[in-house]
Amino acid sequence: MELFSEIYSCYYQVLRHLLRSQDTLTIQDIRHRISGEGFEESLLSIIPKLEDGTWNLFEKDGKLYRSRLSSSFTTPVSDLEKSYLKALLSDPRIGLFLDREQLEALDNMLADVAPLWRPEQFYYFDRFADSDPYEDENYRDCFRTLLQAQKQNRYVDIDYTSPNGTRVHHHYIPARLEYSVKNDKFRVLALKPTHPAKHLKLETLNVSRIQSVRLLPKTLSSPVDLDAMIQRSYYKEPLRLRIVNKRNALERAMLHFANYEKNTTKIDEDTYECLIYYNRNMETELLIEVMSFGPMLTVLENERFLNSLKDRLQKQMRIVPPAENIYNT
Amino acid sequence: MSDFQELVKSFSKTREYVRDFFVYGFKTRDEFTGKSPRTYDNERRRLESWLGEHVRKDHVSNGCNISLAIDSNLLDTNPLFRVWKTKSFTDNDIVLHFLILDLLQDGAELTVEEITSGLLEEYEALFDIQTVRRKCNAYEKEGLLKKKKSGKTVVFSIDNSLAHWIKSNEGMLDALAFYQMAGNLGIIGNYLSEQSDHHNQTFRVKHSFCVHTLEEEILFALLDAMNRKTDVRLEMKSSKNGALNTADCTPLQIFTSTRSGRRFLCGYVKKSRRFTCYRLDTVKIVTPSDPSEGYEELLAQLGRNRCYLWGVSFQGNSQHHLNKLTMTIQALEPSEQYIVERLKREGRGGTVTRIKRNVYQYEIEVFDCNEILPWIRTFTGRILSLECTDRSVEKRFYRDLQTMYRIYQIDGNT
Repeated sequence: MELFSEIYSCYYQVLRHLLRSQDTLTIQDIRHRISGEGFEESLLSIIPKLEDGTWNLFEKDGKLYRSRLSSSFTTPVSDLEKSYLKALLSDPRIGLFLDREQLEALDNMLADVAPLWRPEQFYYFDRFADSDPYEDENYRDCFRTLLQAQKQNRYVDIDYTSPNGTRVHHHYIPARLEYSVKNDKFRVLALKPTHPAKHLKLETLNVSRIQSVRLLPKTLSSPVDLDAMIQRSYYKEPLRLRIVNKRNALERAMLHFANYEKNTTKIDEDTYECLIYYNRNMETELLIEVMSFGPMLTVLENERFLNSLKDRLQKQMRIVPPAENIYNT
Repeated sequence: MSDFQELVKSFSKTREYVRDFFVYGFKTRDEFTGKSPRTYDNERRRLESWLGEHVRKDHVSNGCNISLAIDSNLLDTNPLFRVWKTKSFTDNDIVLHFLILDLLQDGAELTVEEITSGLLEEYEALFDIQTVRRKCNAYEKEGLLKKKKSGKTVVFSIDNSLAHWIKSNEGMLDALAFYQMAGNLGIIGNYLSEQSDHHNQTFRVKHSFCVHTLEEEILFALLDAMNRKTDVRLEMKSSKNGALNTADCTPLQIFTSTRSGRRFLCGYVKKSRRFTCYRLDTVKIVTPSDPSEGYEELLAQLGRNRCYLWGVSFQGNSQHHLNKLTMTIQALEPSEQYIVERLKREGRGGTVTRIKRNVYQYEIEVFDCNEILPWIRTFTGRILSLECTDRSVEKRFYRDLQTMYRIYQIDGNT
């Protein structure tokens, strides 16, 4: 079983799509398809092979290309993929997607397949202790309703218990289901209509705090650019960090903040500056992450972030003045 | 650059370049030492071709910085999965792939001779029998073809029932969309999604660390060794100084950090009679060796030790085998109850005790208390005391705090 194999390659996928087409194609159609799905320079490799017939996969009729393959062409599932699917069957979250009957059907089809891994072969040593209750029937119902609504752009009526214990009831359109690896929790990125401006506001709700979800017949009339909404929510002034590369600090910081959009510049031999883009929702978590590095990172900007950090240090100094700790130098 | 090829033969060479561009993303041509400028140019060109929309170019005084700008909050898939789809192949490979699979689509069971003549008759494609046999055997090994022997005759066929089931099952497609983003070996989920012509538009992953997909060939080899209970030799390259070294161990478990995405192999080293963790992104080659002795007992032993691990270190700096860390913090009642919840949720089995009104104590016993310091620092602003039987940990905490007071000019008066 090979993980890096041409059978999964981009060129094979592009060709499969072209070959399944029952229409005759011009070279322009083919070029267009390759440009959309292939790599930037794939055209240069693929087109000559099709034009000169080295890849004898199309019948040429003058300037037209007709696939030699049947329209129902399907790539079989490889052993690697089967053993991946078998491993998923032991994952506690699979029950969110497949019901008992479907799980049994899949299990039967994979009866003689060994799983690629077993859950106990992985240990998540810093995962938070309060994972979502994936086995809970109400949780599963809520999850499935949210999933259906998200795919159909439908409104839902959500009954939610907020972190401070208040019960709230609102109409939302689920835009995405967001999973946090660290928290082992699902959240729903939901659009909330606000009155009277018909404006949509993006809110994040923990699925485990949702008491009930009811699917409504109303659908979202025009698509919303979620990514633009998220990007607009970022502060104009990013966090600017200085990293002095001691004790492998640079690599550690670069990997640690790899999930944020960032831009790093070398200042001199050992000093680097890193810009991190974030929004209000990410602020506390980012502050905690920066604090965990201690003096290995220095916050240069923005003012807001710097003040939050200084505020925590001021509080620390006030509750344990330096004179009281034995290591004060 | 007429010899430039967009596709590559081996993943391992490319892996290092992509990782450097992704992780650091500020190196100019001159700063990629140890490689010829031509190699750098080719690798950079490939990277731009594969990941074009994520490549950012910044012009600086000594050249052009190429970096990968990826915001995980906006991703429907891992853009680095594209690197896995760059394997080169021959003209025969691609033609035989489509024609043999197409010929067998209707479920027919055919011999190599029948397939060879079928290729000629149905598709006007002339191949010699040996070439077709090699491809059929290779595909049988990958599981794409079924091979059946009846008497002296060997026939090949296709079973597409699972592929059709996946494609027609919305729940399965949703599961694949999710697991390719959030699960182990997500690239395989992505392969399956792609073959089913399904693209994720539903799930996002917070705390997603794209770069670690580049280690999945290593993870795959380690899981195979673990499943077969075989010892391994690891060839590694230090991320600090580039030094090469090897280690022989019994692979037992994969330790994963959800906060950085880093993964480690926890193995038992017979020579030192110790458990040790190796970072997967530093491992370059995994070679299976002898069958492991006493595998189950080693696993059980690891299970007993794991409760004394904070992260991945089985040994601290002090003389003690185990060290105790005690932190007392201030959390105002009831408004700051979330701090107490944090201690419980994130404290990895440590005990949390209410000492008096607004004061709580967290206590844990682990092998290496140094590993706890980054987490301890996140409570800055409310730490009343920190004590540790490994005095160097206490010392480091307070010294780092002093350094931070100096850096940010904190005087405690404002």
